[in-house]
Amino acid sequence: MASVQISEAEKVYIMHGVRDDLRVDGRGCEDYRHMEIETDVVSNTDGSAKVRMGHTDVLVGIKAELRRPRPNVPDEGYLEFFVDCSANATPEFEGRGGEELGVELSNTLYKVFNSHRSLDLRSLCVCPGEHCWVLYVDVLLLQCDGNLFDAMSIAIKAALFNTRIPKVRVLEDEEGGKEIELSDDPYDCLRLRVDNIPCIVTLCKVGHRHVVDATLQEKACSAASLLVAVTPRGAVTCVRKLGAGSLDPDSIFEMTETGKRVGKALHAPLMELLQKDESLGKKRQKVGFLA
Amino acid sequence: MPVDTKRVRGPEESQSPVLFLPPSTQSPAGRSGQGARGNADIRPVFTRCGLVSQAKGSSYLEAGNTKIICSVYGPREIERKDETDMKSGRLVCDFRLAPFSCRKRGAWIQGSEERDLSLALLESMQPGVCLHRYPRSQIEVNVMVLENDGSILAHAVTCASMALADAGIEMYDLVLGCSLRQDGDACLVDPDVLEEKGSWQSGYEENQGRVTLALLPNLGQVSGLQADGEMREDALPAAVRTCIDGCHKMYPVVQQAILRAVKKKAPPPEK
Repeated sequence: MASVQISEAEKVYIMHGVRDDLRVDGRGCEDYRHMEIETDVVSNTDGSAKVRMGHTDVLVGIKAELRRPRPNVPDEGYLEFFVDCSANATPEFEGRGGEELGVELSNTLYKVFNSHRSLDLRSLCVCPGEHCWVLYVDVLLLQCDGNLFDAMSIAIKAALFNTRIPKVRVLEDEEGGKEIELSDDPYDCLRLRVDNIPCIVTLCKVGHRHVVDATLQEKACSAASLLVAVTPRGAVTCVRKLGAGSLDPDSIFEMTETGKRVGKALHAPLMELLQKDESLGKKRQKVGFLA
Repeated sequence: MPVDTKRVRGPEESQSPVLFLPPSTQSPAGRSGQGARGNADIRPVFTRCGLVSQAKGSSYLEAGNTKIICSVYGPREIERKDETDMKSGRLVCDFRLAPFSCRKRGAWIQGSEERDLSLALLESMQPGVCLHRYPRSQIEVNVMVLENDGSILAHAVTCASMALADAGIEMYDLVLGCSLRQDGDACLVDPDVLEEKGSWQSGYEENQGRVTLALLPNLGQVSGLQADGEMREDALPAAVRTCIDGCHKMYPVVQQAILRAVKKKAPPPEK
């Protein structure tokens, strides 16, 4: 992953700051950086969102396609995740350099969002056993400045909120042949319920404390971090220890507690923002990529 | 796509007969029904070190029907010198499932599930190995699952740490793994493959999840933690504690196997 090299003196400075709950950029230990979210940024997608968090920049596009459902769950649609680490972010990602990170990130996303209770996959089914909607969630990392997971999960949630899938009906003729008919009205769309979709909170252990939304400098000071995916109701869909270090059982309990608290607090303003943004309709100011 | 042309491949579109079984035959029989073990019990474990003669160290572990073989090569000179920090060594983990190990045949090339397991194994093992003692070198850990009957990652961690110990690699502590399946209020330690899947297919019930944990038993540190599913707030800390207990239950067996291997390599002087 993209990383920076910092000297011992800088490390000590950052760690002492974290101990006193004052980080290099003036935040407390449980604060996020300034966050910008914009939905509906790419017109060719069914749903898209861009999230900028400090200097981390993530673009998510969702495309829906009709496919055959998986044989073991014939009455459900499914999600496919793909993370592309663009060489724009850091030169290390050039060629196949970003592949390993991309696979790691997309595998984690599968685990985070693969919960029946967070997204109603049955609503994506068109005709059991024959056709269902597959949502291809493509994540593009434009800039990396730490905390990729949190930015990605927020962007995915915003993009899922923004997704509009055209309504289709299944018509059956006398011989039992089935035909799929697309609705005439382009605004007649299926929306996804995103109320219970989890957000990821990554906690970085720095010294004896842990910080939320670590920058690359802070990440360089920590040996291990814990990823916690929390739904708005406070259920945990995924936990993962990342990095080369180990953690004390007690600090794991503390960190999951913090993760749940921060995660729950993150959901409400996010949903409010997304709903407000949508209610503006066409009056909404478009910012785009040059913000 | 690289395909092994020498092998007879199945038809392009086929479905496993397992899918057509009635659901009742697929659901777990229930531990209490068998009367064999309680929810908090781990399966009986058989393990031995030193079975691959060419490797620096190796181990074999059997827990129920889960069978895992692991070999360690190195320390040897690092292959790619450009990207790594020269002051400490590098650990390379390769996790593979034999194509015949699961109910459904797997591919020979490493899939994304195996890559994910390799990474999880690496992250669990790394805190246990004194890598700073091996500058400019890499240590390779190869894990092969011969038969998958659940909890493969947890047992692979245990197996890999035994192989590293057998190879004489300096370590801070052994690394032990334990996994758990939360099914509503029931908490099944060391689940087999049916319990692992459980009612996952119709998994709309509350509090379903899987947890795998790796522990350094003497230092009391958790070196790896993975959980997925959807678990209630209070369930996770309880699950972590149960897993730590499960790891401690494995410890004497592992210790004995390593001791046995050491005695075999360097027999005590006869009086």
